[in-house]
Amino acid sequence: MRSSEIRVRLLAAALLALVLAPAPAHADVQAQGFGLERLTPSPAGAGWFSVDSLDMHGGLGGAAAVTASFAHDPLVVTASDGSRLAVVANSAFVDYGFAATWDRFRFSLDFSQPLWTKGDSGSVGGYAYSAPALDLGSNPDTLGDARLGVDARLFGEADGPLRLGLGAQLYAPNNSRDAYVTDGTFRAMFRLLGAGDLGRFTYAGSVGVHVRPLDDAPVWGSPRGSELLFAIGGGYRVPLGDARAGDVTIGPELFGASALKSLFGATTTALEGLLTARWQQGGEGAHLGVRIGAGGGLHPEFGAPEWRTVLSVELVQPGR
Amino acid sequence: MRLERGAPSTLLGACAIAAIASTSARAVAQAAPPAGHEDQSFDLMNLMSEHGLHDVHDESWNVYGQFTYISSWKRPFRAPYTNANGSVNSLVPDAERSFTGTFTLFFGTKLWKGGEAYLVPEVIAERPLSNLRGLGGSIQNFELQKTGGESPQLYRARTFLRQTFDLGGTPVEKDSDPMQLASTVGSRRLVFTLGSFTILDIFDRNSITWDPRQTFLNMAFMTHSSWDFPSDARGYSWGGTAELFWDDWAVRVGRITPPKNPNALPQEFRIFTYYGDQLEIEHDHKLLGQSGAVRLLGYRNRTDTGRFADAIAAYEADPTHKNAGECGGAGLYNYGSGNFSAPDLCWVRRPNVKLGAGINLEQHLTDDLGVFLRAMWSDGNNEVGAFNPADRSLSFGAAGKGSLWRRPLDVAGIGFGASWISEIHREYLDMGGVDGFVGDGHLPKAAAESVIDLFYSVNFVRAVWFTADYQRIWNPGFNPDRGPVDIFGGRVHAEF
Repeated sequence: MRSSEIRVRLLAAALLALVLAPAPAHADVQAQGFGLERLTPSPAGAGWFSVDSLDMHGGLGGAAAVTASFAHDPLVVTASDGSRLAVVANSAFVDYGFAATWDRFRFSLDFSQPLWTKGDSGSVGGYAYSAPALDLGSNPDTLGDARLGVDARLFGEADGPLRLGLGAQLYAPNNSRDAYVTDGTFRAMFRLLGAGDLGRFTYAGSVGVHVRPLDDAPVWGSPRGSELLFAIGGGYRVPLGDARAGDVTIGPELFGASALKSLFGATTTALEGLLTARWQQGGEGAHLGVRIGAGGGLHPEFGAPEWRTVLSVELVQPGR
Repeated sequence: MRLERGAPSTLLGACAIAAIASTSARAVAQAAPPAGHEDQSFDLMNLMSEHGLHDVHDESWNVYGQFTYISSWKRPFRAPYTNANGSVNSLVPDAERSFTGTFTLFFGTKLWKGGEAYLVPEVIAERPLSNLRGLGGSIQNFELQKTGGESPQLYRARTFLRQTFDLGGTPVEKDSDPMQLASTVGSRRLVFTLGSFTILDIFDRNSITWDPRQTFLNMAFMTHSSWDFPSDARGYSWGGTAELFWDDWAVRVGRITPPKNPNALPQEFRIFTYYGDQLEIEHDHKLLGQSGAVRLLGYRNRTDTGRFADAIAAYEADPTHKNAGECGGAGLYNYGSGNFSAPDLCWVRRPNVKLGAGINLEQHLTDDLGVFLRAMWSDGNNEVGAFNPADRSLSFGAAGKGSLWRRPLDVAGIGFGASWISEIHREYLDMGGVDGFVGDGHLPKAAAESVIDLFYSVNFVRAVWFTADYQRIWNPGFNPDRGPVDIFGGRVHAEF
């Protein structure tokens, strides 16, 4: 065989190999974690899980609260072919909240400790997701972002039918994005707060902006920058005998967020509802409060879980 | 005086002379637990009390905070060898700088009669000397943790509940302090603590050396160097303690969780299988009108650790496979030694028992000057589980306040500490083994790792202290071939 013929045959074989060979695999882009939790517990003494009673009054007062939450499937990424990946399948945290009130103002500090954050790793739509693997045994002292807040009641009496105010919260980043407990950047919330009491009916709501520098677009299930925040709650108060026994308030709370860049987009909006019951001791001096709630995602995307349970215990010293 | 290796007896005399000659006053501080606040010093609670916003004698809550920055400069020192035979645990002989910065908040609230809850979040940033390797019982900065880095990290240091049952006796006023609500309790009482804390919050307290953030920088004075109290890599544990106070006597028992792997952060919560048990008996007394105390402490750990004799036997039986270099390939936890000709504890870890007993003495000589002594013996059969690799330790010294020269919030002190290892421990290290933080790869003869620590803290504006500190450490890593090491330290400490 002549050498030119050999070269032609080699070239033909190479071309055939190129044609028949499978297309080179494109490496999936690694998605990064972020501060996933959508339930930002209200400051200690604020009365609700997600909104604020705005009833600060009197002299120096204070409150301490411990809030525990368990959420199922708070982050599920769904591909165009319908396949699902529960990147965060279960998530539990406990939030330690402290607040001081003075006249119309509240200053608060919250530390959130993730207790259990686990899920499934995998690839969806060209992105590789690494599930968090955080539990109390392996991470006995881990804290997420620290949250510093200030709220002010600007309009209305502390027990009036309409109270309006402003609130701001600053997140100081802590821990690793891999654990889905932080954005790794400072972020802040600014909200217009409203609340009121109409006989035995009580309500509260808020609307605001979550200034979130982290923008991981177009990774599915990841932040798209700053967000619109909204929340509303209402309840019916049932007195329990004497004043010291306090009362029980039963009612729903709805809260959510939507990326400003894709306002109310299907995959960038989270909406969650909780049916709550809370008992608050009455009378003079310090009083105890216990809250329970259960619910789930009405639009279970981007942090709103399939279902959630939450429990809170707080001790409140009203301003004198 | 030029201090040479093996100069403890000279130092003992020097310390005694210094203690007698010192005109300073009683030390306020504490060790790992936060110090009580001096009446004259500034803090938020007293400020609020002065303005009628808080009852500082009967509290339903309190909040305190502290900030401490410590910088240490190590001079180059003599070392004929470093990390011999593939070891990784030597103190580097070059000049080095180390630092720690901590910021802590102490929240306390009353829950019900006798019931209290505490939460302590803390931020730390740190850079140790030589990756925290090469020093045994006298690490130059007590704040250093076995985890962490130069970027500040927030973590939950303590969360615990405390319940006090009053059993009578004479009324005792408890001051408002970090992790202590002001109240009046009986001199006879039963106190239970449950949650996450450092065992040093409750056991082995000493009012002279009690607060390293205000007194000695070296870890040898924080507690017994050879008390291998179980804890995570930061020094905290989960568990419960019970304290019976009966006038001048106190008896304490406690059980706490160890780490899953020695010196690591993850905790082992199977507390009925793996645990550290502590027992302490305390008697408070008056000697020539001055207060003092004697404390006897015993501990028994049952943890997943290795015995030196077992590691040596395993290596001698199968040196090809049961050596330090093979640990990683077998998926076993070790300290990074790649020495294929040295034994390693990774092959022999199983539930083992470690025992120890010690004594802690404190005596005020005047209202403003006190002396202290601690001594402890541990069995020396097992590797370090959570604290220091020392098997026996001794420390003593004096500390006091500057009342005599009209600076009552200044603090000064001098102390000497020494720690030893057992013969089987030495044999293991001489074969090239590493144990937590020590192991130069060669140790034909062991010596006491000894330290002298001298400091003066100047107070400013009642809330800030600036400290100058000098330490000389002999026989680092229990190795008489290396050192001595000179370390200069500076500290800024603020309380509010």
